[in-house]
Amino acid sequence: MNEQQRKFESYLDEQIAACKQRSKLLAEDDRTDEGNFEKVRANVYEIFKTILSVAERVCGTDDLAKRSFFLQKAEQIPASWAASYEKARQNGDVEKTHIERMKLDTIQEIKDMCTQIWEETT
Amino acid sequence: MTEAEAISLFKCLADKSRLQILKSLAVEDMYVERLAERLGLTASTVSFHLKKLSDAGAVTACKDQYYMMYSLNKEMFQTSILDILKQESDEAQQQAQRDADYQKRVIDAFFEYGRLKSIPAQRKKERIVLEVIAEAFDFDRMYSEREVNIIIADFHDDFCTIRRDMVGEGLLGRSGNGMEYWRMKND
Repeated sequence: MNEQQRKFESYLDEQIAACKQRSKLLAEDDRTDEGNFEKVRANVYEIFKTILSVAERVCGTDDLAKRSFFLQKAEQIPASWAASYEKARQNGDVEKTHIERMKLDTIQEIKDMCTQIWEETT
Repeated sequence: MTEAEAISLFKCLADKSRLQILKSLAVEDMYVERLAERLGLTASTVSFHLKKLSDAGAVTACKDQYYMMYSLNKEMFQTSILDILKQESDEAQQQAQRDADYQKRVIDAFFEYGRLKSIPAQRKKERIVLEVIAEAFDFDRMYSEREVNIIIADFHDDFCTIRRDMVGEGLLGRSGNGMEYWRMKND
């Protein structure tokens, strides 16, 4: 595992831990729904941490291929979220709209961080 | 308010952020961005909470120029919790039916041809039996102790115990000197 990948994995771990911590605090503060939203965000980070480890297995030591694999999945997987978001929005389902929007915002943040880390260190 | 509406409202209120939104709206009507700023939440989170509150009937919305203005549904919050509890529901009817069935079983078990076979040891059952005996007394009429004893003796020989227990259960009233009795009205 190279430096960029370590840094990126550590970023994902930090975000997962932060989301879980916020979820716990929100639940303790009787803000259950917001606590559940943080769990959803943690799930998105966890999905992409798994994708990162799959990229490692599939692409071996080829850094460019790994990054490309990761970003490709980061486009493919949220496509269904975007469709679900649009459907929920059209049907006035505020809860679903909010959750899908949050997932899309989180994946955008992950992609931005991925690009930033790889650009910083190259 | 129906039982389903009450449950929806209580579920909705069991959240600190939504309670904070309602507190803000109790001060004045507000739009999403203003609430978000005031409560330190994102606008989409506030919209999510407002939708839940709106579905539960706790807030109303109306368009004010470019914004959707939210208001507290004061009428709903003027309903007392006691009013909600007093509301008839399917469950209440089923409970009443179950209570009636239970009373009938107790009466059938302890009475035979209008006579009380034995005084139930369980207080709940004794109460049912005493209520049946109380039916033999008229409202708005004073009875001497002797008259009370005669009426109770038609049901059971131990009229002293039954008379005392009927007073204890609030089915009969007794004057301070113990000379007069009357049938108490239930609320």
